[in-house]
Amino acid sequence: MKIIHKLFDSQRKHFEGKGKLRMLKPLFEATETFFLLPGIVARSGPYVRDSLDLKRFMSFVILALMPPFFFGIYNAGYQSCLVSGLPVDFLTVVIRGLWIVMPLVVISYGVGFFWEILFASIRKHPISEGLLVTGLLFPLTLPPAVPLWQAALGISFGVVIGKEVFGGTGRNIFNPALTGRAFLFFAYPTKMSGDAVWVSISGTAQQVADAVTGATPLAVTVLTESGETVLTALEKAGYTFSRLFWGNYPGSIGDTSAFCSLVGAVILILVGVASYRIILGGVLGLLSTGWLLNYLSASSTNVWMVLPPLHHLVMGGFAFGIVYMATDPVSAPGMEHVKWLYGFLIGVLTVLIRVFNPAFPEGVMMAILFMNLFSPLLDHIEIGWRLKKRISNV
Amino acid sequence: MISVTVTKGYDLPISGRPSPEVKTLKKPLRVASLPERIPFIKPRLQVEVHDHVKIGSVLYEDKQNTDLKFLSPGSGTVTAINFGERRVLREIVIELDREEQVVDFPKIADSDIRSLERESLIRMLMQGGVWTLIRELPFRNIADPKSSPSSIWVVMDSGEPFQASPEVYLRGREALFSFGLKIIKRLGIPVNVSAPDHLRLLGISEMITHRVRGPYPAHDPGVVLYQTKKSASENVCWYLTGQDLLAIASLVKNGKYPVERIVAAGGSRVKTGCHFQTRTGAPIRDMIPELADDTTCVAGGLLTGYVVDADSFLGLHETSLFCMDKGDQAQLFGFLRPGLAKHSYSRTFLSVFRKQPFDMDSGMHGEERACVNCGSCTRVCPVDILPQFTIKCLAADAIEEVLAHGLLDCVECGLCSYVCPSKIELREILRKAKHDYYMEQK
Ligand code: SF4
Ligand code: SF4
Repeated sequence: MKIIHKLFDSQRKHFEGKGKLRMLKPLFEATETFFLLPGIVARSGPYVRDSLDLKRFMSFVILALMPPFFFGIYNAGYQSCLVSGLPVDFLTVVIRGLWIVMPLVVISYGVGFFWEILFASIRKHPISEGLLVTGLLFPLTLPPAVPLWQAALGISFGVVIGKEVFGGTGRNIFNPALTGRAFLFFAYPTKMSGDAVWVSISGTAQQVADAVTGATPLAVTVLTESGETVLTALEKAGYTFSRLFWGNYPGSIGDTSAFCSLVGAVILILVGVASYRIILGGVLGLLSTGWLLNYLSASSTNVWMVLPPLHHLVMGGFAFGIVYMATDPVSAPGMEHVKWLYGFLIGVLTVLIRVFNPAFPEGVMMAILFMNLFSPLLDHIEIGWRLKKRISNV
Repeated sequence: MISVTVTKGYDLPISGRPSPEVKTLKKPLRVASLPERIPFIKPRLQVEVHDHVKIGSVLYEDKQNTDLKFLSPGSGTVTAINFGERRVLREIVIELDREEQVVDFPKIADSDIRSLERESLIRMLMQGGVWTLIRELPFRNIADPKSSPSSIWVVMDSGEPFQASPEVYLRGREALFSFGLKIIKRLGIPVNVSAPDHLRLLGISEMITHRVRGPYPAHDPGVVLYQTKKSASENVCWYLTGQDLLAIASLVKNGKYPVERIVAAGGSRVKTGCHFQTRTGAPIRDMIPELADDTTCVAGGLLTGYVVDADSFLGLHETSLFCMDKGDQAQLFGFLRPGLAKHSYSRTFLSVFRKQPFDMDSGMHGEERACVNCGSCTRVCPVDILPQFTIKCLAADAIEEVLAHGLLDCVECGLCSYVCPSKIELREILRKAKHDYYMEQK
């Protein structure tokens, strides 16, 4: 403890005043406060303050991201070994998975922090803890075979355009990780949604891969032959409900397993870091729209309309999106009641986009970004409604 | 009797509760008056250094209302008049005589109270220096005799952690309390008496009009008013604490400026938390001789009070002292610890399973960050202000909107600042906005 104290104290001079590293002061401070929670004394009342700070707040999101992160490493490795014809014992799979996922995570944090530090230095702001979350969330939404330069581009877009141009953390309208992901989706549509991208293949095994084909569940349905229901098509391709739930199929690194997201949701709700209203609202919206479409499907030829609502819940990264992205407090509404509506509408939109516009199979991403845009309006409505009930005092 | 239930708010689990035992302190060497701590007044000095004053001599008056007199809490020689930043009058220190002399004020017998006129009563209380104990909502300034409040609230306990308890200061003074009520009823305004519903206060129980239940700050007059008001015409009210009512009664009954005070001292850095029988303006060190540099001492309530040092004195309105660790030590991997000993409104520490109270310290426990819209401040605010949105309106200078959000209902309880994970000084920002608005109104 003392040693660490001394170490920071001895280096501080380089970062302060006219020190030659003064541009990097935010970096120095961020590193120091990572190790040492500073003993700042309250300067105005109240003179007691809660032990919770933003670092711990964000740490819980990271903690909740661990199940999808670890499973994502395993799954990316597993799918890759399978397609590349490598043995699928645990060790090989994990090593392969790390080989695929870690570079993306490192790039994401590295590039993300570069921008964060740059803006923090220019604005003389402290470095925001939000990036710790963004930097991990972003790679988990990527397909394993995405080129590293695209990942770098995506996180740059997310941090700079998604956050910094709005004035930094706390003022951004959109979730930065999602902004970056959406940018890649639109900028490189084939890379992001073709069949090949979902599994990372080791060089020589290309032919094998083509034979096994890594179509994701959402893409399968496009292949539906006439007379076949979407459900049988899915099952023919091996996508049973339980497989979709557990998540051992090709897809984005972190979002295939609804189970892992469920674990994360439980953590986040227990500690109160994520709003259960948004998550439950989202699930309700999704299920009810799914049911409604089932009910209406008799008069339509749209194959998607008959998909059982519960399938919507476990497919296409919905669980991941609603648990980790929709609940980002900065881009979600702040008022409690409209959080239900916000979540609900995300659920509704997700299904509608999937069913009526299969060109965007990942409807949840679009749905969340779209609703991000409406958060301020939802807040405005609830505040107006609350203020009307207030006895004025002017 | 009306029952009032407040649902929002939060009871901090604080260790070091003062016991109901009362220790009588010996006569201090010095006492002082602290004009700096009295909100919104503009003091004009009436004494100089080396002047001799009596208990009840005028020390200063308010420039805005020269009838408002602030009297000396002791008899002796003025030894120092200290100024703070920008020549704000900070304190007037009086070294006490061995035999103190007392200024005589008119007294009124119980039987003559009925014929007391409002105007003459106000003049009498002002001359006698106790009008300063009556304060006005929403700004908490000293009551303006020209305003028209809808009622007067006598508040037995503000609910602020570790204030002097009514069970202690009322003991044996029930008759005086009832006399005090009779007096302020002559102001011609409805009088309410509110008390926490867990305190029995048998001696005065039939005088209590409102029984309040709920977490801190449910017992604050501003919160009780917010919960009970039916229209905007009730916004202006006067209030005083039970102990202040006793002081008023004492002046009228005995014709002497009352300087007795019961003060509670608590917190983890106080050897034995208890109540002290002392006097207005007593030195802090007399009550807490062990006060050291690594200790923060807050006067007037842990959440709404201000920090005092050992050489300072007790202000006119303050009836509590709270001492705790300074909290200036850095902590290795502070944010990753399980936190069994870390108090929090959230559920992010193992301390959610802890039943015992916590030793507090005055550390921030984190650095200031931008608001992340977590909503804790809005959830905890007892008067339904939306601090997270209100400060954004303030930053945009949309004062109309800020008022619509209920700025003036803010009771300055400090809970929003306490819970904020981004360590934003919400209470201070709102308090300052309210203060500025008051100055503009004048
Ligand atoms: S705004 Fe903050 S200080 Fe004011 S009443 Fe609400 S919680 Fe208390
Ligand atoms: S508690 Fe702090 S961070 Fe949370 S919403 Fe309120 S102001 Fe923002």
